[in-house]
Amino acid sequence: MKSKKFTMLILIPMIVHMLIFMIIPIFSGGLISFMDYNPLREENGFVGLEHYTAMLGDKVYLKAFANTLVFVSVTVVLNIVLSLIIATLISQLQSNKTRSFFRAIIFLPCVAPLVASSVVFRRSIFPTKSGLLNMIIQFFGGDAVNWIGDANFLMISVILFTLWADIGYNTILFTAGMDGIPQDLYHAGSIDGAGRWRKFVSITLPLLGRTFSFVSVMTLISHFQMFAQFNVIAYMGGPQNSGIVLTSYIYKVAFQNKNLSYSSAIAMSLFVLILIITLIQQKINKIDWEY
Amino acid sequence: MKKLNSDFICRALFLLFLIAISLVVILPYIWMLSNSFKSTKETLMDAAHIFPKAPTLNGYKRVLFESPFFMWLGNSMMVTITNTLAILFTSSLIGYVFSRYEFWNKKLLFTMMLSTMMVPAQATIIPTFILINAVGLFNSPWALIIPSVFSVFGIYLCKEFIDEIPKELLESAGIDGAGDWQIFFKIVLPQIRPAIGALGIFTFLEHWNDYLRPLIYLNSSEKMTLPLAISFFSTQHSTDLSATMAVSALIMIPVTIVFLLFQRQFVKGISMTGMK
Repeated sequence: MKSKKFTMLILIPMIVHMLIFMIIPIFSGGLISFMDYNPLREENGFVGLEHYTAMLGDKVYLKAFANTLVFVSVTVVLNIVLSLIIATLISQLQSNKTRSFFRAIIFLPCVAPLVASSVVFRRSIFPTKSGLLNMIIQFFGGDAVNWIGDANFLMISVILFTLWADIGYNTILFTAGMDGIPQDLYHAGSIDGAGRWRKFVSITLPLLGRTFSFVSVMTLISHFQMFAQFNVIAYMGGPQNSGIVLTSYIYKVAFQNKNLSYSSAIAMSLFVLILIITLIQQKINKIDWEY
Repeated sequence: MKKLNSDFICRALFLLFLIAISLVVILPYIWMLSNSFKSTKETLMDAAHIFPKAPTLNGYKRVLFESPFFMWLGNSMMVTITNTLAILFTSSLIGYVFSRYEFWNKKLLFTMMLSTMMVPAQATIIPTFILINAVGLFNSPWALIIPSVFSVFGIYLCKEFIDEIPKELLESAGIDGAGDWQIFFKIVLPQIRPAIGALGIFTFLEHWNDYLRPLIYLNSSEKMTLPLAISFFSTQHSTDLSATMAVSALIMIPVTIVFLLFQRQFVKGISMTGMK
């Protein structure tokens, strides 16, 4: 074919780039995790599984691992439930204008840099005395909570913040999915005498399947990788490391403790964790969603 | 009649609930703006009001005139615009090649490429950091550009759209003697404008908001991009709440305005790229 030169000209830079910035880093990341690596040294020896066994005895790592699972499962479930509810309510509105108005408002936090809104929440919303949240709680007669300084509340604060910051994205995806459901089905439902709730359970939910599986996979993966709010709201892990997660521990070990190989081992564990969950998800979602 | 009534009440309740949720979403923005016009003392001593009692612009003054804010803005613009343009170009071009050309092991290459989307940034960032250091790009804006001039998602999206272009359109151009580049620029690019638009918006946003990579690759304050600068600024001025809220507002409000202006394209882009 005459276009062979064209194809090569475009593909070769891409393949080289992919090798240098993706494939080789993945493997060398794995390699470094089996070494005692220090960039300043000439020779770096292998230590085998040492870092991985060290991980099992590292209380902070285990805490970060557990916190990650708690954060991801709680936040993702709440996120999907809430955005599904909001999307349903929005889709019930009759005027197109009000629909897009609410969609826009809910989506607002998604366009702001996560680190900037984290700073706003840490400094203006969560502070015990001058923070907005406690003012509202006290207005309704509740007691002030130490959102950031109390080890029991820090993770709750991060989850609340993350829900605020991230719910708009899924809300839009769900409303788009609902718009894609043929209206005839609802008419048929009405003729059969189905009410709102019945139509939601028997028509909307099952037909939202494809959107649902897409949303759940993407939300899971993105929440495992969240970092900015942990580095701001749960700075340095927070009290008793109550707010440390794998991403922030990787950062801390690599760039504050300067232990690149141990942090590579932790990064590998996060990688495997995400991989396993994605594979399970894909297995579950291998259902035919066509309609 | 009764049926109609309950329907009305139901809808009113929905609306009320949505208004409540919207308030929760908006309130932090209002509070940030409000605190940015209060003195730190006012916020700490007696803040329970939205309109500042003694409004002041000192916070904004300290951000705009006493710190290199415009330098940070310039850095952010430079990195983000370069990345976005590069990704739009490479994605459409490679998407075109994958869609319309046959070559050795095409399927395998495409699958391999797609599977790298599952790899979390944390898994590659340490070796990439070592590499960037070794080639002397540490603390250079190029460290934020060179590793990200290709986007797998972008390639995938463009390929999906180019697949939809009628074969005859491209073939007739080929018969008329148009070369590969001509076909790409004159026919393919105009046909996939919606995909380019959506990809452009999201690539821009992703790089504009990126925090992890600047945090790792940059270390001097004059090289920082805005998201890194705000966390730096807020630790530097940890006692100056007024200025911290001012810098947050200066970063959050412009993207918010841009979003409100292009709202429809955003929403369309999400449902299009998300579901394709």
